[in-house]
Amino acid sequence: MFKFWLVAQREIRERVKSRSFLLMALIGPVVLLALLYALFSIAGSEKQHWNVLVMDKNEIFSNRIAPKEDPRFSFTFINEFAEYDDFAELELFSNYDMMVVINEKIVSNKWVIVGYRERPSEQLKRRLIHFVERRMEEIMVAEFTDLSVAKFREIKQPLNFSFKNVSDPKNEEDHKASWVGYTFGIGIMLFVFLFGMTILRSVSREKTNRIVEVLLASVSPRQLLGGKVCGIGITALIQFVLWVVLVAVGLYIFRQTFFPDLLNPEIIAEQFSVEAGQVLKDELVVTARIYNEFVELVYRDIHYVNMLLFFALFFIGAYLFYGAFFAMIGAAMGSESDGQQYIIPISLLLMISVFSGYYVIHYPQTGLTEFLGFLPFTSPVVMMIQLSNGFESGESWQLFLSLFILFISSGFVFVAAGKIYKNGILQFGHRLRLSQLLNWLKKS
Amino acid sequence: MLDLDGIHKTYNRKKVLEDVSFHVPEGAIVGLLGPNGAGKTTLIRIINRIIEQDRGFVSFKNKMMTEEHLKEIGYLPEERGLYRTMKVQEHAIYLGRLRGMSKRDALQQFNYWIERFDIGDWRNKRIEELSKGMGQKVQFICTVLHQPDFLILDEPFSGFDPINVELIRAELLEMKAKGKTILLSTHNMKSVEEICDRAILIHEGKKVLEGEVWGLRDAHKEGLFAVKFSGNMIAFANALWAGYEIDSKEVHNDNLFTVNLRMRGENNFNDLLGTLIQAVNIVSANEVLPSMEEVFMKNVTTPRKEVDHV
Repeated sequence: MFKFWLVAQREIRERVKSRSFLLMALIGPVVLLALLYALFSIAGSEKQHWNVLVMDKNEIFSNRIAPKEDPRFSFTFINEFAEYDDFAELELFSNYDMMVVINEKIVSNKWVIVGYRERPSEQLKRRLIHFVERRMEEIMVAEFTDLSVAKFREIKQPLNFSFKNVSDPKNEEDHKASWVGYTFGIGIMLFVFLFGMTILRSVSREKTNRIVEVLLASVSPRQLLGGKVCGIGITALIQFVLWVVLVAVGLYIFRQTFFPDLLNPEIIAEQFSVEAGQVLKDELVVTARIYNEFVELVYRDIHYVNMLLFFALFFIGAYLFYGAFFAMIGAAMGSESDGQQYIIPISLLLMISVFSGYYVIHYPQTGLTEFLGFLPFTSPVVMMIQLSNGFESGESWQLFLSLFILFISSGFVFVAAGKIYKNGILQFGHRLRLSQLLNWLKKS
Repeated sequence: MLDLDGIHKTYNRKKVLEDVSFHVPEGAIVGLLGPNGAGKTTLIRIINRIIEQDRGFVSFKNKMMTEEHLKEIGYLPEERGLYRTMKVQEHAIYLGRLRGMSKRDALQQFNYWIERFDIGDWRNKRIEELSKGMGQKVQFICTVLHQPDFLILDEPFSGFDPINVELIRAELLEMKAKGKTILLSTHNMKSVEEICDRAILIHEGKKVLEGEVWGLRDAHKEGLFAVKFSGNMIAFANALWAGYEIDSKEVHNDNLFTVNLRMRGENNFNDLLGTLIQAVNIVSANEVLPSMEEVFMKNVTTPRKEVDHV
C-alpha cells in the first residue's frame, strides 16, 4: 500500500508541476467563462410588442387590466375560453402572442393560466403578473372589503400563475434539464479521454525508456499500475476542483460586477424598503436586465450539489473503467505507432457514449435508454441526463444500481488490465495482435 | 547467498531457460556470461521477481525468495531508464523509498554517494540535462543507495569512459571487500577475468559452465607455454629439436621474440627451461591459460556438452 501511494504521489507531483496542468487549469475555466460571458451578454431576443388576449368569460376584469399604458403590451378582451390547441392553430387567434385565462372562480382558486407562443422574458412575465395582480386587487377591494388597496395588499394572498407554451403545454419538448445533464456527461467523457491518454502516455513512456524494469524490481505490476492510475485520477480530480472553483468564482464575479441585474428582480426589489413604494419597486423590476433562458439555466436550474457529487462519482467510475483500457494499450504496445491504432476503438466507445446521451435526450422513455443507463460504457453520460431530469419517487435506485454496475465493471476491467500490464510491459518491439492480448489475459 | 534450483521458463512455447541451477556464494563477485539471447536477462528478471519461473526455486540466504528480500537486492538492468523530467536527487530518493528506505536515510545515502563521486552540483539537475555517462552514474547510485547485500548488475560498464569504468570497478571491489555479493552479467570478458571470483556460462537457456574463473581457464588450457627470450631464433629452434612443437611466434625486434610452444612426449616445464637456458637469454616463461573470451568462444561455438563444474 505504501509503495502504491509512493507511485501515485510521484504521478501527482509530476503532473501538477507540469506547465500543461497549470495551463489547462487556467485556460479551461477561462474559456468556459468567456463562453458564458458571451452567452450572458446576448440579451434575450425579446419581442418588442406583445398582443395579449385576455379570456375573461365572466367579464370579471371588465375589459380593463393595465392602470396605465404600457408600450410593450396591447390587451384585447373576449368573454369566452379557448383551448391551447385552438389558440395555437386557429387563424382567429393568430394575431395574439399570449393568452391570459381569467377563470370564473379566480376569486377563490386564485389560478391564472398564461399561454404563450414564444417564451417571454422573465421581466415581461413579471410585468404581466404585476398587471393582473393589481387589477385583481382593485376588484377584490371594490367588491369584498372596505379596506384601501394599499391595506388590502398587505393581507392578500398572491395569485398563482402558470405559464405554458401553447404548442407544448405539457412541457414535453423542453429538454433544458437534459442538456444540463448532457453537458456534465460530456464533461466526464472529456476528462476521461484527456486523463486516459495521460495514463497511456505515462505507461508507454516508462516502457520505452525502460525505467519500468527498475521499478518492477521494487514494486509489483499491480501496485505500479494501480498507483499510476490512482495518481493520475487524483490529478484529474484536482483539475476538476480547480475548474469548479474558478468557474464558480467567475460566475459570482459576473453576478456582482458585469451583470448585477442577473439577480432575480424580486430580490432586487425586496432590498428596498416598503416605504419606497410600489412604483419604485416596479421600476426596479422593469429596469432589471432581461435575462434569457441560458442565464436561468446557469444560475437557477442546475442543482449544483447533486450534479457535482454524482459528476465526481461517475467520473471516478468512468475514469477507472476507461483508464484501465488505456493502460492496457500502453502496456501492450510494441511501439508508439502500434498503440495509436488501438486508441481508435476506445475513442469510438467514448463517442458512442456521447451520442447515446443525445439519443436519451430525445427518447427519454425507451427500453434502450434504460439499458444504456446501466451499460458501463454509456452510463456516465446517460445517468447524468437522467439525474438532471430528476427521478420519479421510488426510481432513484436506478442511479445507484448504475453506479454499482459501473464500479463492478471497472473492477473487472482493472483485473484484466493488470494481467495485460504484467505480461505486456516487458515485451518490446513486437506487433500487437488481439490474439496476443487474449493470450496474456489467460495467463495469471 | 543465492541459489537457483532447476529453473525453467517458456515463452510462446519456446524454452528460454531449461533446468538452470547455480550457486552464488556470499561475498563473491560472480560473472553471468552468455551470448545474446542465451537467457541471462530472463534469469535476472526471475531472480528479481519481475517475472515468474514456470518451474524451479530461487532461495536467498537459505530461504525461499520472497518480495521482502527485494529490499536486500540492488538491480541495475542493461537497458537503463530514468524519468527524464525528474531531478537527480528527487529521482534517487524516489527509487530508494520504493526499496523500503525512509526519506531521511535515502537522502543521507544520496549525499554520501554524490560526495564520493564528486557530483554535488548535479543534485538539482534534471535527468534530461545529463549526458549518457552522467545518467549511468546516477543509475549506479540509485542501485546501491539502499545498501543492498546483493547486487545484480547487467552490463555495468557499458556507456562509461575508461576513467569511469575504473571508478565503477574500484567501487565493486570495495563492495566485495565489505562483504557484498555481486552477480555481474557482462560481455566484457576482460573485466570478468579481472574482478570476478566465479563465472557461470549460459548458452541456449542451459547452464554450460560454472566455477572459479581461474579454474575455468585452467580447465580449458591446451598445454601451451609462452617463452620470451633475447638471442638468436635459429639457436632457439635448434635447442628445442624434436622434444617441443612451436605453435606461434611474435617478433618484437631483431633480437627479442616470444614463442608459444607445446611439449612432446614426457617433457615438462623444467625440461623446457633446462633446454633453453643454454641457448638463449630467457626474459620470461609461463604456461598460457586461455582467456575467458576463449573459454566463452569455445563453449558457445562448439556443440554443447554436459555441464562442466570446475
